Amino acid sequence: MKLYDQIFNVVKQFRKLFSPGPVTNADVSGSITAEIFLIVSLVLAVILLRHVSVLLAGLATLVVAIVLITNIPLIPKFKIEQEDSLEKMLFYAVVTLSIIIAFLYWGGNLV
Amino acid sequence: MNELIPLMVIVPLMAALLISAFSRFNTATKVFAFVVAICLPIIPIASNYGLHYFGGYAPMLDNVTSVMYHPAITYSFTFLQQIFIAMIGLLTFLVVFVYLTKYRKVSGPYLFLLFLGTAAVTAMLLTDDIFHMFVFFEILALAQVGIVAASSIDYSYEMALKYMVLGSIGSPIMLLGIGFLLALTGSVNVTDIAAAVHNGLVDATSPVFLMSLGLIFFGWLYASGLPPFHTIKSGIYSKAEPHGAALLQSFTVISMISIVLIMFRIYATLPIFEVLIVFFSILAMILGVSLALTQTDFRRMIGFLAVGELGFIGLGIGLGTNFSITAGLFQALNEIIITALLFIGFGAIVEATNEVDTRKLGGLLAYHPKVSIMLLIAGLAMAGVPPLSGFQSKLMLVQASLSCGFPEISILAIMVSIATFVVFVKTFYTMFLKPKPNDLDLEGKEVPRAMIFTMAILLIIVVLFGVYPDLVTSGISNFVGGIL
Repeated sequence: MKLYDQIFNVVKQFRKLFSPGPVTNADVSGSITAEIFLIVSLVLAVILLRHVSVLLAGLATLVVAIVLITNIPLIPKFKIEQEDSLEKMLFYAVVTLSIIIAFLYWGGNLV
Repeated sequence: MNELIPLMVIVPLMAALLISAFSRFNTATKVFAFVVAICLPIIPIASNYGLHYFGGYAPMLDNVTSVMYHPAITYSFTFLQQIFIAMIGLLTFLVVFVYLTKYRKVSGPYLFLLFLGTAAVTAMLLTDDIFHMFVFFEILALAQVGIVAASSIDYSYEMALKYMVLGSIGSPIMLLGIGFLLALTGSVNVTDIAAAVHNGLVDATSPVFLMSLGLIFFGWLYASGLPPFHTIKSGIYSKAEPHGAALLQSFTVISMISIVLIMFRIYATLPIFEVLIVFFSILAMILGVSLALTQTDFRRMIGFLAVGELGFIGLGIGLGTNFSITAGLFQALNEIIITALLFIGFGAIVEATNEVDTRKLGGLLAYHPKVSIMLLIAGLAMAGVPPLSGFQSKLMLVQASLSCGFPEISILAIMVSIATFVVFVKTFYTMFLKPKPNDLDLEGKEVPRAMIFTMAILLIIVVLFGVYPDLVTSGISNFVGGIL
């Protein structure tokens, strides 16, 4: 029953996503779909690393899958990070710019 | 009639200025705006393909190096520009029509912003000059901010201001990247820059060239609303008037493809360029759809879905083959139409109910059957259900990624389509099929006829492109063959 309790706790935490206001069956179903979609699609995206190295892809897929599944529910966390706060938007914009430039400057001619 | 090429930009630009200047004459403004709006889709259809050199400065041949230089700002008009400019013109006409019929007294500045935005995206599509593109990109950003700020929805000013603040990061960084390119090649003409890169006059692995790619790429992320700008992009869609949001999303799609095609011509020699596009496109698809699934505000839901659909366009272009880029551009055309249809359709529901929270709605099928059915078809088209246009472009994208050796991307694309379908099933059930809440008053509230007319026109195009995709794909494929 431990796994069932864990999933049930996830569903209960979805309530916070829709407050204030009532939580309907459709909303919870949508959130569960989003949760499963997010995990599966991120794991699937990591498999693309096989074009760089099969070993790296295997390891990364395992690590990502374990990290994502042990951290459910992910959607409330994702939603908090992507709210309409200017500070968060600016933070992620600057982080993205830094990563792109660092990636291109030091690794641009390797790929 | 190549003289018509610059008129595609000049007509909406002049109309914007004249309407703004003479907006106190209400009836004259309405008639003038309507006439200009009708002309917008007609001009690109009537024009011949070709080039237009501003100032008449024709290209010059350097006899020593046998290299052709383009001193003038050049507009290039091919099938791709024709179909996209005609579609933007048609959409502008429909949006202006909805706006003119909605208000007795029209706002000159608002119409100014609509026409200015149309002129800006048209110029971005036509131009072969990267700095010229940047100038209109800036004008477009201001027009977008104005369209959002002018809406009567709560917190629209705040969202517009946030978009402007983020733009103050994205735009100068893109300009810096263009400056690096100018420093390296001595030109801002895209054909000249691409020739310099492909002929080996510029070292494609030099840090300055790579840095220019990074900076312009970041500006492109801002223009197209891909992560990390997906939140603000979906936010501005949800805070604009429905007809304004329909036009805003088309501006985003056009600026996305016009900038990425320029980048493609310059940086296609670097494999990392395509890796970056695919990475951000996948991220947009995953984030856009998963966030759409959790929304209770249906305007925000469409906003996130629109961002997710942008990922499909990027994916097609990032895969880099003729077939995939054709699929990506066809997807762009479909997205412009389908998302506009959804924004206007859901806007009609807001008009009739004054409510945007799906939890407070229900039973709308009995009260607004025409809007319900058209919205359902549009939703199915976006999810990629045959025989609608979204199906054709998504099928092409799945085939393209399979033939490029990326079955993971194909599975991901199918999963995103299924998730999009779930979003629509959930929303359609909640808004239209679920029993009507007792406190929801729907008696005597009609949907404006202009909105139903607009939806019907867009729906016809969705079905037409779904049944006869070759109407556009063969022309787009020829264009793509030219740039590869």
